[in-house]
Amino acid sequence: MDSVIKIKDLTKSYSGITAVKNVDISVEKGEIFGLLGANGAGKSTTIECALGTKKQDKGKISILGMNPHFDRKKLFEKVGVQFQESSYQEKITVSELCEVTQSLYKKPKNYKALLKQFGLSEKLKKMINELSGGQKQRLFIVLALIPNPEVVFLDELTTGLDTKARRDVWKHLLELKNNGMTIFLTSHFIDEVEKLCDRIGILKKGEMVFYGTIEEAINSSPHENLEDAYLWYAEEETINESVY
Amino acid sequence: MKAFIKMLKTELVLSLRGMDMLIFAICMPAVISIILGAIYGTSPAFEGSEYTFIEQSFGALSAIAVCAGGLMGLPLVVADYRNKKILKRFKVTPTSPKLILTVQIFIYIFYSIISLILNYFILTVFFGYNFRGSIIEFLGAYFLVMLSMFSIGMLVGGVAPNTKIATVLACILYFPMLIFSGATLPYEVLPSHFQRIADFMPLTQGIKLLKSSSLGVYNENIFIPIIAMIFLGIICIIFSIKFFKWE
Repeated sequence: MDSVIKIKDLTKSYSGITAVKNVDISVEKGEIFGLLGANGAGKSTTIECALGTKKQDKGKISILGMNPHFDRKKLFEKVGVQFQESSYQEKITVSELCEVTQSLYKKPKNYKALLKQFGLSEKLKKMINELSGGQKQRLFIVLALIPNPEVVFLDELTTGLDTKARRDVWKHLLELKNNGMTIFLTSHFIDEVEKLCDRIGILKKGEMVFYGTIEEAINSSPHENLEDAYLWYAEEETINESVY
Repeated sequence: MKAFIKMLKTELVLSLRGMDMLIFAICMPAVISIILGAIYGTSPAFEGSEYTFIEQSFGALSAIAVCAGGLMGLPLVVADYRNKKILKRFKVTPTSPKLILTVQIFIYIFYSIISLILNYFILTVFFGYNFRGSIIEFLGAYFLVMLSMFSIGMLVGGVAPNTKIATVLACILYFPMLIFSGATLPYEVLPSHFQRIADFMPLTQGIKLLKSSSLGVYNENIFIPIIAMIFLGIICIIFSIKFFKWE
């Protein structure tokens, strides 16, 4: 079967500086893929090129067999996106933003049910500005799920959430995965990645230094756990440098 | 269409919540109408004139809201929505950021028309105003003024690198045009050398057109204002399409 998300040989540079280079990713249906890397390693550029909000210099991208540039309208009926930087109007309430978002899709999910699922039912009439960081983050996940998507992209999934809220979000995501949803996420939290992801990719200065399952990541490193293995992949140079 | 209506409703509520346009596009022209009405009442525009001062000013008063919406409201909201990445968010939905821009244009059309009706009502009921011209010609002129003002606003909002610069540009355009084009201070009371400078402002030309069509008196050559407005509108639309920054 064809992969749901296919990124092949993706290269993108900004005014001569390479942000990502020759990145290959493929994610199967029902899989959770986690893209890891330090700040500035190229995670957001990869997501943005995959979604077509940035044009790659080189490489092929297909999501659900469609090209994010040419099949935008059709593709984004089936793809939910949560960007790292939240984008909403000042003075807009939770229900207003949800209703407008819902109106953009042909077959949306009921946003009230989603809000309830993510513990935000009480906040319907609240201004988004008044929500706490964690509540906002959960709301943005809800917004990404409103299209009733087959694929979701979640950039910096649980940044700003407390431990309990993170665990709740994990639970929901695993449920979605079990229902066949494909999830592409970036995260800074190794425990989260370990819990959720079937496969991971580690970016370092725009290049993929590891791609595979979590087990493979640990086994092919000199370490016993993912956190150490991740640091070994992502920050090898700094460690080596500090030895001298 | 469903998305357009839903968004129009929501954005209108947000805009009203913001209060700015309520003040600058609805209240301000109404207050100026009342002040001019109280000062000039039914006195003639000039000695021997067959129309009153207020009748002469109606066109100008109805342009204040267009000026506020096109030169202040629109550029600021466009720059703000780009800055907040709202336009970008629409790129990952089945619709496009153009939808929310279209919605904003409709909102400022809405404010302009409400202000037009309100001014007409105030002047007719309280100050003996009488619309003498052709409604069709007046509305034609009115939409032409909207086209040119809104296209300037879209261009400014679309190319300004950030909200701060958009605000500065909007102020540079808005205040001089508001004051010297005849929208607030009647063009006729300006000294003649001021008038000559004011003639270069697109709104001055627009107001001349509104004035002539509301009075039904075409003393001046109306082709220059019409050509100027259409030309400006087309130039600004072409430039905004070509240079619009989505991010």
